[in-house]
Amino acid sequence: MPAGVIRDLLDTASAFESGFRGDELSGRLVANLFFENSTRTRCSFEVAASRLGARSINLGASGSSVAKGESELDTALQLDAMGVDAIVVRSSVNGMPARMAERCTAPIVNAGDGRHEHPSQALLDLLTIRSRLGRLDGLRVAIVGDIANSRVARSNIYGLEAMGAHVVLVGPPGMVDESFAGLGPEGRTTVSHDLDSVIPEVDVLMMLRIQRERGAASPIPSDYRVSYGMTRERADALRPDQWLMHPGPVNQGVEIDPEVLRSFPRSLIEAQVSNGVLMRSAILLRAIARS
Amino acid sequence: MEHAPTEQDLLVRGGRVIDPDSGRDELADVLIRDGLVEAIAPGLDGSPGVEVIEAEGCLVTPGLIDPHVHLREPGGESKETIATGSRAAVAGGFTTVCCMPNTVPAIDSVRTLEFVHQRAEHGALCRVYAVAAATIGRRGEEIAPIDSLVRAGAVGISDDGDVVADPLMMQQVLATCARHDTVFMQHAQEPSLTVGASMNAGATCTRLGLRGWPRIAEELVVERDLRILAETGGRYHVQHVSSGGTVELIRRARARGLQASGEASPHHLLLDDRACEGYDTMAKMNPPLREEADIHALRQGVADGTIGILATDHAPHTLQEKSLDFESAPFGIVGLECALGLYAKALVEPGLIDWPRLVALMTIEPARLVGLDASGIGTLAPGGPADLTIIDPGHCWTVRTGEFAGKGRNCPFEGWTLTGRAITTIVDGVPVHAVEAPSGVG
Repeated sequence: MPAGVIRDLLDTASAFESGFRGDELSGRLVANLFFENSTRTRCSFEVAASRLGARSINLGASGSSVAKGESELDTALQLDAMGVDAIVVRSSVNGMPARMAERCTAPIVNAGDGRHEHPSQALLDLLTIRSRLGRLDGLRVAIVGDIANSRVARSNIYGLEAMGAHVVLVGPPGMVDESFAGLGPEGRTTVSHDLDSVIPEVDVLMMLRIQRERGAASPIPSDYRVSYGMTRERADALRPDQWLMHPGPVNQGVEIDPEVLRSFPRSLIEAQVSNGVLMRSAILLRAIARS
Repeated sequence: MEHAPTEQDLLVRGGRVIDPDSGRDELADVLIRDGLVEAIAPGLDGSPGVEVIEAEGCLVTPGLIDPHVHLREPGGESKETIATGSRAAVAGGFTTVCCMPNTVPAIDSVRTLEFVHQRAEHGALCRVYAVAAATIGRRGEEIAPIDSLVRAGAVGISDDGDVVADPLMMQQVLATCARHDTVFMQHAQEPSLTVGASMNAGATCTRLGLRGWPRIAEELVVERDLRILAETGGRYHVQHVSSGGTVELIRRARARGLQASGEASPHHLLLDDRACEGYDTMAKMNPPLREEADIHALRQGVADGTIGILATDHAPHTLQEKSLDFESAPFGIVGLECALGLYAKALVEPGLIDWPRLVALMTIEPARLVGLDASGIGTLAPGGPADLTIIDPGHCWTVRTGEFAGKGRNCPFEGWTLTGRAITTIVDGVPVHAVEAPSGVG
């Protein structure tokens, strides 16, 4: 996604801050095809569609884990043949939305694919940062946690760098390694295993969810919170120009201490949720208007 | 083999006869009678009734040997059979292949081995020998009846597709193979380092969000095995070497006098892990495609003799299986039909080796590896079996998987233009394959 498109989406989403007309997509039908459980992202897309006057249909999937490839693609093709205006896809299969896009007429919106990408989350994160801090260019953002398993991290690395920000990835060695260095479009992304040395250098701290459900490849250190968590002590020591984010849902007491989550004054976590609707509205509008 | 030796005598005329075993490299004719090579000399006479095959401008070599193929029979007949795999083999110029034991059931008993031999006898266009399993069911828990398997004709021992992971088991297997001077072939993959892995660990893998398969998963096993080999003795062979580090381990082991060898596959000599971009399952192999430095190290290994064997790891799968998503799709690609041209591209065209050396790497070297040289396979000598391949080194052709002779179409080289091709394949004195309109001949 070129920087120009990201900027357009940010501008459209920002414009929705002052309200929706309500008939932007009236008469349109959006299919939410979630092969992986998700409450937040699916609801966010549903609310967005509804705000724009579109209707949504939701398909969950228990789906067999064997031969996922075929059945997921088939389902999308069937919805496409029924003439829906857009298909929002969440899949555990890396690259599945792109595969669907090759075969479907309807625009495909990637709502998260495996450990690959989660573009709508990254875009809403960009929107949140730009709204509060006034810019993205030149900012320094630390992404902290289970980077290896995180599609949110991969999309944010891309989006933040494309918009001129610098990204530092922080996590234990099992969760981020040197293969991430230079991953973004500008090749500036760096890797660190020392959160406390990174904190003073950054404007935004984006704490990631520890993805227990993504399995064994990166064992979680038993003292994760001590080394990589946003503890009360760390939060208290932050400067007044430093901001805290988390894509949710938070494992309280692991990535972020409960009292920090409740009362940290510069938390953007709630804003991320509300901005999710604005950004997903912008995404749906663009996808359908261009199809 | 399917065909009986025919009455038809053959004269292969005017080619450059290359037999690395004897050192012969000259323009000569080859007279074939009753399935055997009768004479090799310039200006041989084709007496009446002898069919003449013109080989001017071509190389006439011992039949090519691939010591590492998967023919899927028994149990995987939708992917390939011994008969169809042998058609792929002769189409690529191979007259002998060694099939791996990861069938269903595995080739871990004399009974299954004899079944494979019987299928080969009655359905194959080329010689098919079997490599038998090292452990029962290839599960790594209980040693296979190696003595009996070797006596029944197994030409090597391997759990290919899986590693022999346990050191004690490895020690027993190597020691048992050593008693017979039978080669043990290791599929070097440390299981704990490759859980859920589907491609080389590195930047491409990280961006694609796949689980990485590090080089050390291969090197660790090889390094350990070489320690064991130093105690047990015997012959140890690393299958489908993918990492530059492994090349160096083999190089050092050979310098220390250990009987260690390694093989290179066409894909590891030509492709790197960027081929997996877009989740292209045709680039999904075990071991995975690595990086440019590994390609370079492998090629250097071939050039300096460290890697003395070329093997395709021909691994047919149905297109349906390969059209699954990247992580679910099976590992492997087919290679028999286009291997020769690919080796030429990787090794001869850059000047790393010459054609005679390439012929050696595909004939006498693999024959020695699996002990078939004693039967005259891999050489061209009067009185020996008339297995010949006629290669046109200038034949320029385009890989079309739709025209492959075997069942497998899973090949990342579709559309590649290659120079060098086997235009006639002769097994036991019978031409079993010929390219219809060879260019550059005559």
